[in-house]
Amino acid sequence: MDFKLTDGVDLHVISTPQFKTNQILINFSTQQSKKNITARSLLADLLETSTHKYPTQTALARQMSSLFGAYVGTNVTRMGNLHTLRVRASFVNDQYAVAGLTDQIIDLLHEMIFHPLIDNDSFDEPTFTLQRNNLQSSIKALADDKQFYAGMQLRDLYFKDGSLLKIPSFGQLSDLPKLSAESLVTTYRDMVVNDRINIVVLGNVDEQHIAEEFSQFEFQPRSASFGPLFYQQTPIIEPKRKQQTQKLNQAKLNLAYQLPIYYQEKDYYASLVMNGILGGSPLSKLFVNVREKASLAYYASSQHNAFNGLFSIQTGIQSENRKQVERLIQDQVTAVMQGEFDSELLQEVKDGIVNQYETGLDISSNIVEQVLLDKITQSRTDTQILVQEIKAVTASDVVHVANQLRLQAVYYLNGDLN
Amino acid sequence: MNEQYYQKLNETIYSSQLENGLLVQVLPKTGFHKTYAILTVDFGSIDRSFIPAGKEDIYTVPNGVAHFLEHKMFEKEDHDAFDLFGQLGADSNAFTSFTQTSYLFSATDHIHENLDVLLNFVQDPYFSAQTVQKEKGIIGQEIKMYDDDPNWRLYFGLLGNLYPQDPMHIDIAGSVESIEKITAEDLYTTYRTFYQPSNMNLFVVGNVDAQDTLKWIEQNQAAKKFEPATDPKSELVLNDETGKDVIPFRTLEMDVSRPKVMVGVRGLDPVETGRTGLKYRLAVELLLDILFDDTSDNYLRLYNNETIDDSFSYNFEMQRGFHFAYFSSDTNQPERFSDEIIAILEGAKQQIEAATSQFDNIKRAMLGRMISLLDSPEAIANHYSGKLFGGANLLDEITTLATIKIDDLYQIEKDFIQSQGISVYQVVPKRN
Repeated sequence: MDFKLTDGVDLHVISTPQFKTNQILINFSTQQSKKNITARSLLADLLETSTHKYPTQTALARQMSSLFGAYVGTNVTRMGNLHTLRVRASFVNDQYAVAGLTDQIIDLLHEMIFHPLIDNDSFDEPTFTLQRNNLQSSIKALADDKQFYAGMQLRDLYFKDGSLLKIPSFGQLSDLPKLSAESLVTTYRDMVVNDRINIVVLGNVDEQHIAEEFSQFEFQPRSASFGPLFYQQTPIIEPKRKQQTQKLNQAKLNLAYQLPIYYQEKDYYASLVMNGILGGSPLSKLFVNVREKASLAYYASSQHNAFNGLFSIQTGIQSENRKQVERLIQDQVTAVMQGEFDSELLQEVKDGIVNQYETGLDISSNIVEQVLLDKITQSRTDTQILVQEIKAVTASDVVHVANQLRLQAVYYLNGDLN
Repeated sequence: MNEQYYQKLNETIYSSQLENGLLVQVLPKTGFHKTYAILTVDFGSIDRSFIPAGKEDIYTVPNGVAHFLEHKMFEKEDHDAFDLFGQLGADSNAFTSFTQTSYLFSATDHIHENLDVLLNFVQDPYFSAQTVQKEKGIIGQEIKMYDDDPNWRLYFGLLGNLYPQDPMHIDIAGSVESIEKITAEDLYTTYRTFYQPSNMNLFVVGNVDAQDTLKWIEQNQAAKKFEPATDPKSELVLNDETGKDVIPFRTLEMDVSRPKVMVGVRGLDPVETGRTGLKYRLAVELLLDILFDDTSDNYLRLYNNETIDDSFSYNFEMQRGFHFAYFSSDTNQPERFSDEIIAILEGAKQQIEAATSQFDNIKRAMLGRMISLLDSPEAIANHYSGKLFGGANLLDEITTLATIKIDDLYQIEKDFIQSQGISVYQVVPKRN
């Protein structure tokens, strides 16, 4: 059931007896800018560390512990051109804990959102400094995960100079020195006052009661209208190439294509099937030919981001096989473009997508995510629609989608230990 | 068929041991779409020396055979099990640990057929020199991928300190050199010894009817012929059970942004299996939460003086024949980290006393987290550890947790934490 709390603040409650846990997601979204991405990432860390009533992380952790080990935390992510900060709670349903647990969790969320540890227009200084150091360390540590690192390098190569999508949703090191305990108060107030807010609650709950609880949150009306959700950029003719060398046992070869197909727009369902055939499943061309037949890699897969149009392929290989693997990958792409896949594979990939969607309905956090996605994109997904749309995808639809792939960037991380 | 209803948790589990010895358990989940089934063999990477079925002498296989076997089970002479699951719209996978190998699928439809595929592909081996050779390239890349993962190196580095002469310190997948030696014959010998129905269990959770499911599985098994069950023995004989072989400290240089450090505690106390073992495991987990979780004073102190950050984590692992705990963090003060952790462990008795008021809260939090797992068919099925904990499932674990008192922790602390079993491993940035 949907409730409008005020202009720009919506509540969606799904009451179901399926789960023993309840989920609450409070999503703050805004247009991303050069200034707000890193600031909001650090803000998210501060909000989950302490509040006025629970001024240390231990005090806050003890409160969560007493609420039957509830998880209450924050994170940031992005959807196309929007930057989103989420406050999320996951906890045992009252029935398996104590009466009133859900209300206590909502109280705690209220405390975290409306009473952060701010005094005299500044976040608590020691907490700020510590969290800034921690964010800096954790961003640096991401480079230790080579698969992740290669993916980041590819994104950086793919997105045009000056594109905000070059900045990861969790922020960048160069912004950190510009942030202060005072500047984050501005970031915080801007978020609470101006962001579009979607609250999703799922569990064995009374819908009206949940609406009454959230109606006590002091949100003011806001216009919250943004530019286009989906990110687009003009493709280039000659792909960019970048190569780096590190002391590694395994080299990484990543390719970026542009695929200008967007969430719930034309060809969207065909793009899901195309990805499944090319590299999105263990039945796919890349998995079968690069891994199973040629024995050149342990992982060889593809994915498509339907909010920014980036279609990427990644593999981990031996450096001496680099040329062979790149050719083999391009061969698979060409094969799909030319319709070289049998109807059996097409059917299996389609069944697999439906299976994946339906099994996702057994994971409460997944349902919450899907509801949020639907609300933000003003679309509606349900099993019936999905099955119909997937069923309707033909081999020529897949070919049509594959022919929109434009190679834009190749990133190679050379491992020289062998 | 046995039926057990857990009233407080509102779940029912059905179980049956088939004539051929296969243990089957079914937990229907109302309102769920998917069914998750996992077939587990009581055989893992540490089981490298054993007496083959029908033989008398000990046989030792190259490191990594259990994992190699897991990869090769999918491929048959004229088809691949992945494809059969694919045709039925199911997702399938497999994994190997120190002591178990598991094969699984999840699907929303054709559950009967999928169960047949699962049982048939695991119970019908096909290995040839050619397919074995081909897999070496794939697994070789899997091993190299992990070799570049500093957290993986940290973990196995610590295990190398705790069990320097025992098979737990060897990567589950083996090494590029050891898998090169694996032959089709090794796989057949191992398979015949361990992949007997009496050494396996099948756990099914989700949108199923228990009676039907059991009937399908019984029919599938009744149609097959199995060799008479032997009791595969792979007793782990520790190199030194007093732990005098524990290496106290080692360090590895890698291309990392800052130091990673792990402190380990090898349990030198003999622990019973069955429900006593389960209670032991849960009590150690509560003990570690009291000493180190984010509600503890220790955590706040170490966090605020930047000895630890959000990367701090700890865990307790108890498997067939061994148990150990480990604590790790990224930190610029690796020596201080290990000194602090060891000091807390060695002063555990006083620490428990000081945190008495937190005990109920910590136990309640663990209870809540375990109840949350009941929403996940995977978690329910994967939690099952077979004989190790006397056939206890997740529901039994929740029931057992309720019986633990703070007094139990004092005994556990004395038995488990011994200075002889403590070790430190560091992964530090390369010096230029």
